[in-house]
Amino acid sequence: MDVTISNQDNKIFVTLSGRLDTTNADQFQQDIASLMECDKPDIDIDCSDMSYTSSQGLRLFLMLQKSVLSHGGKMVMRNMNPQVKEVFDITGFSNIITII
Amino acid sequence: MKKRFNPIKDKSSEIIEFLMASPDMPQDDALRFKLRLSIEEAVENVVRYAYDGGIGWLEVGTNLDHDSLILTIELRDAGVPFNPLEMDDPDITLSAEDREIGGLGIFLCKKMMDSINYRYEDGNNILTMTKKV
Repeated sequence: MDVTISNQDNKIFVTLSGRLDTTNADQFQQDIASLMECDKPDIDIDCSDMSYTSSQGLRLFLMLQKSVLSHGGKMVMRNMNPQVKEVFDITGFSNIITII
Repeated sequence: MKKRFNPIKDKSSEIIEFLMASPDMPQDDALRFKLRLSIEEAVENVVRYAYDGGIGWLEVGTNLDHDSLILTIELRDAGVPFNPLEMDDPDITLSAEDREIGGLGIFLCKKMMDSINYRYEDGNNILTMTKKV
């Protein structure tokens, strides 16, 4: 799992690639820790190259979404592959995270 | 194909890859995604919670019925008796603020596999999952 985070025009762009699973969820949590401290964050997550997520990844996306909402910000996830999207649909995460 | 892993602490990845490399596994990417997810959730459940401190064994196996094309994945451990199927499903209609973090693993197994069964036998937890492949 590779994570890149960049700032541009007051937006935070995150790019995810590879598999997000039990082997790297702790690292991913550290990678996104700084995003949970921002005030009114505007986060755009590109999932084009994210091939997989397990519940370990989902719990971190939920943590991030909760943090974003509590800080008055917004977050979108885009370009999910169909399998990853299905995981978000089945778990109801498609209703609580904006996916475009 | 069957193998017993002992000890299992920090061995999730090795156990998952062993199962995914089984000749019983299908080649189709969409099916493999569902199987990998179910396997990861089930294996993690044992590795994290079955034994105090993760010291213990986990035997995993696959079987493919070539007539029905039903793949069976079995996990057996001698940890604390625990029926994961008795856990309540998460309420997927709640808002982000109200959703609890966690509790999705076995729910995903149930959704991704065709059947999932648990039994406690001879001091072992036995979880059996099937999928038409």
